[in-house]
Amino acid sequence: MKHSRLPLITTIFVLVFFYLPIVVLVINSFNASRFGGTWEGFSFKWYIRLFHQREIWHALRNTLIIAVGATSVSAVIGTTAAFALHRYTSRLQRIHYTLIYTPLVVPEILMGMSLLLAFVAIGVKLGLFTIFLAHVTFCISYVAMVVLARLQDFDFSVIEAAQDLGANWWETAVKVLLPLLAPGIAAGALLAFTLSVDDFVISFFVAGPGSTTLPIRIYSMIKHGSPPLINALSSILLVVTFAAVWLSQRLTEEKK
Amino acid sequence: MKRILMVVLVVLVAAVALTACQRSKPVLHVYTWADYVKPELITRFEQENNCKVVIDTFESNEAMYAKLKAGATGYDVLFPSSYMVRLMFDQGMLMALNHNLLPNLKNVDPEYLKIAMDKEMHHSAPYMLTTSGIGYLGSKVENVEASWSVFERVDLKGRMTMLNDMRETLGAALKSLGFSLNTRDERELAAARDVLIRWKKNLAKFENEQYKTGLASGEFLLVHGYSGDIFQAQEENEDIVFVVPKEGTSISCDDMVIPKDAPQVELAHKFINFIHDPEVAAENTEFIQYLCPNSASYRFLSEEILNNPGIFLADEIRSKCEVIEDLGADNAKYTKVWDEVKAAD
Repeated sequence: MKHSRLPLITTIFVLVFFYLPIVVLVINSFNASRFGGTWEGFSFKWYIRLFHQREIWHALRNTLIIAVGATSVSAVIGTTAAFALHRYTSRLQRIHYTLIYTPLVVPEILMGMSLLLAFVAIGVKLGLFTIFLAHVTFCISYVAMVVLARLQDFDFSVIEAAQDLGANWWETAVKVLLPLLAPGIAAGALLAFTLSVDDFVISFFVAGPGSTTLPIRIYSMIKHGSPPLINALSSILLVVTFAAVWLSQRLTEEKK
Repeated sequence: MKRILMVVLVVLVAAVALTACQRSKPVLHVYTWADYVKPELITRFEQENNCKVVIDTFESNEAMYAKLKAGATGYDVLFPSSYMVRLMFDQGMLMALNHNLLPNLKNVDPEYLKIAMDKEMHHSAPYMLTTSGIGYLGSKVENVEASWSVFERVDLKGRMTMLNDMRETLGAALKSLGFSLNTRDERELAAARDVLIRWKKNLAKFENEQYKTGLASGEFLLVHGYSGDIFQAQEENEDIVFVVPKEGTSISCDDMVIPKDAPQVELAHKFINFIHDPEVAAENTEFIQYLCPNSASYRFLSEEILNNPGIFLADEIRSKCEVIEDLGADNAKYTKVWDEVKAAD
């Protein structure tokens, strides 16, 4: 019997579909042309110009502070929420589930606007802190959902075994539960990090003076500014992301 | 894992510490479009006034308005377009300017103020002017007359575009007939509609974004567009020529205003005054390639800018140009006519 070529073709097609736009972007970041419609020769000029744009670096710094902060906080809260949802089934928990689930389906613009109104009403000064809070609210949901899925096929007899063997509550949590759940938490946290770095709509509304994030900056540059700088910046971010992924894989391999 | 966490923590703490030590100087928060003030001028303002300027950016007047209307505060200077300034002022969101702190406003071009919405600069100072006009490929299109009637040319059929913007494009047709582009007269609008339907037969499409690339790559030979966009395309393709039609066109202006709850009122005035310093204004005009309407700055401008009819309008054309005004309920008349144009074959 002949092997079907279909899986191979599908794989290639999917890879092209996913990565072709990125390849075009990276190539265009070296294009001397402003519009990227035609190839005007190899050039580093967008990279050089990028380094003179202090507002972009400021925006990048804001984005990273918020993303790292929101990810770590929502990873903790999201995991505990998932644990509570899984462990207890009361009517209160069903309400809890709905509340956790809602931010995933509420339109972003509604969430941004209502958060802004809430912050204004209670008199919180808009800035990095409000963006951080807003990001935590939606990141919790994503982390909780991912960890919850992981808990669904979690073998709780391991916990009981640990307790039988004399581990106290704290030891069980740190030495048994967390290591087993770690991949789920990491996946949720990575998802939260990406969403936080990406978010435009909610961030735009809750941003205050001096807290422009990278997506807000990029969006306003597309309308009014130099788009090729964005290509250069995105290429640098890609390199950094790939390096981080590669590094984290190396680190986990070493442990084994 | 622990190592990564440590690194992250150290970075966070360093970042927070950095932010903290910058707080000692007064901070001016400017809310504007991306790349809209020459960066060196910002640095100079910071040094002269021993302060720090933080720039945040928005991408449309409407988004900025929605945000401030909902209660966002903390900004000291905003750069909305004139029509939005009018709306914000009507809503009581803006502060009246203190002219004692703004001696440089005497440099503002009186010719521009004649057509401005806020003629006394009561609550706004003009920042940059742009016009809409015609861009074309010099070597491919022969004897172009700087007139809206160029859209009648059958030899360019299918290679021309006009803006997909009701007020701009109907405005062009109204101007070609010698009417005001803010007319409320339905007969004049009907006449403009007929002209536009005739032009439409020669157009490839009504287009707001793609025309820049299309003109640069030669897909379109002649386009109706904003001066700033066409100058950008010019950097790409030197063959592009920009002209302002002799019948006049629309001028739009972005203004500088101070919101009512601005924390740094005095510094905000200083900033507006700084921008209208003749040499600063000239430097900014050279960088942005729009025109800062500051008469005293004109003598510092390079020949290139002064001889560019798209930036520095000739007086006889300028006197025929108008600012697009918000017509309130009469907007419906434009919508009706525009729909008829869009529906026509």
